[in-house]
This record gives sequence, C-alpha cells and structure tokens, in this order.
Amino acid sequence: MGTVHARSLEPLPKSGSDFGALGEESELIEVEPEAKQELLENKDVVVQHVHFDGLGRTKDDIIMYEICDVFKAKNLIDVMRKSHEAREKLLRLGIFRQVEVLIDTCQGDDALPNGLDITFEVTELRRLTGSYNTMVGNNEGSMVLGLKLPNIFGRAEKVTFQFSYGTKETSYGLSFFKPQPGHFERNVSLNLYKVTGQFPWSSLRETDRGISTEINFPIWKTNHTLKWEGVWRELGCLARTASFSVREESGHSLKSSVSHAMVVDSRKSSILPRKGALLKINQELAGYTGGDVSFLKEDFELQLNRPFLWDSVFSASFWGGMLVPIRDKPSSIADRFYLGGPTSVRGFNMYSIGPQSEGDYLGGEAYWAGGLHLYTPLPFRPGRGGFGDLFRTHFFLNAGNLCNLNYGEGPKAHIRRLAECIRWSYGAGIVLRLGNIARLELNYCIPMGVQSGDRICDGIQFGAGIRFL
Amino acid sequence: MSLAAEAFVTQIAAAEPWPENAALYQPLKEEQILLSDNAACLAVQAFLQMCSLPVQVVYRANAEYMSPSGKVPFIHVGNQVVSELGPIVQFVKAKGHSLSDGLDEVQKAEMKAYMELVNNMLLTAELYLQWCDDATVQEITHPRYGSPYPWPLNHILAYQKQWEVRRKMKAIGWGSKSFDQVLEDVDQCCQALSQRLGTQPFFFNKKPTELDALVFGHLFTVLTTQLISDELSEKVKSYSNLISFCRRIEQHYFEGRAKDSTFRPSLIS
Repeated sequence: MGTVHARSLEPLPKSGSDFGALGEESELIEVEPEAKQELLENKDVVVQHVHFDGLGRTKDDIIMYEICDVFKAKNLIDVMRKSHEAREKLLRLGIFRQVEVLIDTCQGDDALPNGLDITFEVTELRRLTGSYNTMVGNNEGSMVLGLKLPNIFGRAEKVTFQFSYGTKETSYGLSFFKPQPGHFERNVSLNLYKVTGQFPWSSLRETDRGISTEINFPIWKTNHTLKWEGVWRELGCLARTASFSVREESGHSLKSSVSHAMVVDSRKSSILPRKGALLKINQELAGYTGGDVSFLKEDFELQLNRPFLWDSVFSASFWGGMLVPIRDKPSSIADRFYLGGPTSVRGFNMYSIGPQSEGDYLGGEAYWAGGLHLYTPLPFRPGRGGFGDLFRTHFFLNAGNLCNLNYGEGPKAHIRRLAECIRWSYGAGIVLRLGNIARLELNYCIPMGVQSGDRICDGIQFGAGIRFL
Repeated sequence: MSLAAEAFVTQIAAAEPWPENAALYQPLKEEQILLSDNAACLAVQAFLQMCSLPVQVVYRANAEYMSPSGKVPFIHVGNQVVSELGPIVQFVKAKGHSLSDGLDEVQKAEMKAYMELVNNMLLTAELYLQWCDDATVQEITHPRYGSPYPWPLNHILAYQKQWEVRRKMKAIGWGSKSFDQVLEDVDQCCQALSQRLGTQPFFFNKKPTELDALVFGHLFTVLTTQLISDELSEKVKSYSNLISFCRRIEQHYFEGRAKDSTFRPSLIS
C-alpha cells in the first residue's frame, strides 16, 4: 500500500511542477511488502474523512466552514493545496497555537482505492493568556497588564482586556470580538475603554471614557466598517500656563457618533510596499444619536506605489479632511485636525502647523497634505538579503496646509484658503521597518513656506509611527 | 514651569495696571449655579466693586472646569488666571489695590479669623444643604448641576460631585450631622458675626474689607435664594444688623448695576 505522507506543509511550493519531489518521497516507502508504487499526482482522489486531533472547546460547526473546501479536491495536488489553505484559515482564527496536516490513504471497510483521509493535528490556545510589561516614556512610567481569552465560547470569539497603570494616568480597554463562522472578515466587536492622552502641543489633557460597537464586512474588494461610538470626553489644561483658548474648551462633553470607513488595499505589506495602492475614506456624523457634540467629519487617505529603476520604489500619498460643525456650536479642539511632524509634513514639529494661541496649537477644520517619496536600497547595499533589507534610503517632498473655514464663504473661497500659504518641505533620510506594522525614520529636512506661529525642525528629525505620509 | 518661574511671571504681571478687559467667569446664573458657588462669586464681585476695579462678568457652563483650581469664580486679567477669593485678594494686592492696608496686625489677624469662620461654617453649611440634604439634592442640586449636559452625563457628573463633597464632609466630621445641628452651627456663626459687627457700618468701622465682601456674598445669597425650606434664611433674618449690612452693601456697590442681568435679586422690596 502506497502511503503519501505530507507533514508540515510549510512552505508550500507555489507551482504544481514542484510537486515532482513527491514522487521521490513515495519511493522511500518502497520497502513495504507487496507495495506497488503509485504515482498519485495526476490520479483522481476522493477525500473521504477529515479527522481533527486536539479539539477541546472549539465547536465543530466553525471548523466545518474552514475545512469544507478540502472535500472538493479532485487530485492530490488539489488536496495538498486545499488543506494548506484550510490550515491557513484555521490559524487565522487565532484559536490554535499549532496546526499540522497529515494526509493518508483511507483505511477501513468503506475505504475506496483512491480514498484519502486528512488529519488535522491542532493545539488550542489556552483559555487565558496574559502579558505584562512596563513602559517608560514622556516623563511617565507605566505598567501594562494584558489579558486575553481566545475562543471563549468555542466559535473564535475573543475577549481582550488591557490595563495600564502609570505614574500619571491609568487607562483600560475591554473588548469582545466575534467573527461570523465561515467568514472571518465579517465580524462584530464591542469595546469599552478609558484612555487619557496628553497633548503638549496644545497644552491639553483629554480623558475619554467610551463604548463603541463596530461591524466589519467586505464588499467585493473593499472592506467596510460601520461603527457607533459614545464617548464621554473630559478636557483640561495640561499646565497652568495653557492659553486661554484651550482653557475655554475645558470641561465635559458627550459625543455620540456613527461612522463609516472604507478601505481598499492592494498592497502586499503596509510598511514600505513595492507596489499597490491604498484608499481609505472615513466619515463620521455626530450629534444625531444623542450627546452634545455635532459635526460631520470626512477624511481620506490615498497612497500609490510603483516599482522604479534598480529596486527603488516611487510612492505618492495624499491626505485630506474636513470638519463641518452642525448647528451653532463651534467645533471642539478634540475633534479638529492637526498637521505637521515626522509622520506627516516633515520638517515641522509634531502637530505644530496652523491656528494657534499663545503657542498652543488649536487644530483646523480642513486640511490636506501630500507627499512624494523615492525609496531606494541603501547605497552599496550592505547586509543585502538580510538585515540590510530592513533599511531604505528615501528622498521626499511633502506639502500641506491646515486652516479653519468660515462656512459662509462658499467652496471657492475655502479652496483658495487651503491653497494659500502652503507649508512644504524636502529632504532625505533613512527608513527602518519594524516588523510589518511600524517604521522609524531619521531624516534631514528643509522646511519651506513656514508661516508665523509654526514650529519647525530644521535639520535632523526623528520619527516613529504606524501611519506615514 | 517651575514654581519659582511661575511666581516670577506672576510678579511681572502684577506690575502691570488693571486692564479694561478684565473678566470674571462664573457658572450660568439662571439654570446652573448652586448656592455655595453663587455666594463665592458674589463675594468676589463685591470685593472687586469695593476696590473699584471694573470687571466684566462672563457666564460659562464649564466655568468650574476652566478654573485652574476647579473652583469658581476665577478672574482673567491680562494673561493671568486667578481663582477664588483668597488668591484674588493677593493678586489684586500685588497690583496695588488693597482694602485691608489700613488695619493693624491685630485687626488683620482678627479679619482672617472671621473669614475662616465664614468659610468653615457658612460655606460648609451651604455645601451640606445642597449635597447632603436628600430633598434638596433631588429637587434642586442634581437638576441644576447637570443642566448643561446631555443624558446620561448630567446624572454621572452630579453623582460624581455629590460623592466627592460627601467624602469631604465625612473627612471634616460633618457627615453624621443632622440638618438641625447644621442650622445650630449657622446660628452660632451669625451670632458671632452680628456681635462683631455691632452697630458699625462695616466689620472694621468705616471702610469695607474682604471680610465684608465674603460675609455679604454668603448672607445675601442665603437670603435671596429660593430653596425647599427657608429655615436657613430664617436663621440669618433673626439678626437685624446683618440684614441691614447686606442692604447697605447692595445699595452702595450694586445699585448702579442692578439693571444689567448680573445682579437681579434684591433685598429692597
């Protein structure tokens, strides 16, 4: 009897021709008596049984959705590919620590001559996982405690809790996440949180206590998020010397808003992609579901990447947004847009562009920012194929503007205001990617179009962040 | 900013004359302000009137949170923000205006003692009445305190404040007092004030001091504010020299301003 033993499928060869190696593997089992070597590659096979080893609290139905495609496989290559996909899908649920796949010929009374059994050996994550770390930064030390209950009800639901106790502030967040069985991208989550932020560029301290629910779902190539959020916001001055404009905004407010976000992302990685585009559109309407804050907020983000000569990549991004207060109440400092800093318009200090009062930046109701980048590998490419590939040199040109709009003026006047007094900067620097989520930048910047009141960073600027212009 | 630097800035600012656009911030008069806050705001207004320093009264629902100390009222003078009567008296003095300069050391000490008495007795009694007397809390304090906020923030903030004040009351030993005991304290305080005042126009004879402003602020507010029961105002009303003291200050310092909405209630009826 020929046994095909396919253990640990990673990495799966991409093209079918690589499966030739399998023939060699089946030769190894030639020693068995009365064995007749069969080349299963092009032969029709039937997946008869799928076994699971190691399931505990995970419910069967959710597993069924993830592996049902395996039964549709018609030949061995298909079986391999389908079970690999099933493995990936199982891992994505975030409920297993390990998934291994065993493909064997079928045994037993009802075994067909070309029947296969597939066994998934899984290890479930523990009911409760925890993490603990300490952080130091911004004149503040904090202790962060995280708890996670993966797969709490057996259908990939997840409860996470994070508590951070600092010398100045405490924050916490509790969230419940539930995907639709079989459609992991369609999910619902419920969050409860308290976050305190200190914004020295505005001399502002903000404490948010909120509850939010969101639904994520894909439509064709786009991902959508519908969200309702109710936040009790408490604003206060960071110091006694805060400007009176900031002082006037102090106090409590309740924001209840519904928002919709749409994302189209064809990039392979979110940090330093080689090609692809990203479009994000976000809109938020506050004030019609309660609360005392009402506005309509629209903003978008566009990024295009194109491979260029000699492994370099040309990238262009454009951001923009507008905040329209509804009814007679002016917009709040906590809702307005901020611009400037090493992650947006480089060469300016963090959020230090636009309207300000006694050195405290008040933000603006409309903004746009654009950036052109040319990313190239390091000169002479040290550490090629290894550590050196985490680095890029880049040349950039950034521009942007932020202002308040007087809504009586009409759209033409608004555009004119956004087009005058443009801040821009250019320079070059080194980019380091950290995993696939963050990046660090060290740039030499030359700011231009500086307006009075803006704070600039002429020369070396260091930046770290997740979202970059 | 370090304490020394702050003190330096305060001194620099103090050297500048009193500006035209000085403003006093307090909670909304009609629907929000509470008894104790109204007393404090009136005291500061009276004090500034006595110093002949013009100030524009600005009503803001978030005045309490705008104030650097979390208490109303506060004044915005130039680019300085100063809250509460004590610091305001100091600040005004640094600008060269003082009501108590003519007093000798003994009188100054006496004045401070009486001011402490008013703050410890009258102010605490007002706080007790508005945050610890259940009927007043339900009918007046909660609706008024929460009035600028939407549901459910109005209840959350009112309960938060109530909890905070009750905790303070417990700490100073007022938590277990009955309303009658509080009235008794108020009566004693008024008696002490009445005796000190005697037949003089002001506490220190001919010229008003910050003590007069403080006493006026509290007594006038207690006399003119409509509460569930008038037991508190009845206690004050039994001291005729205090009533005429309040009338005198009202006529002398607020008469001309009675037309604008800043000062509506009147004892002269």
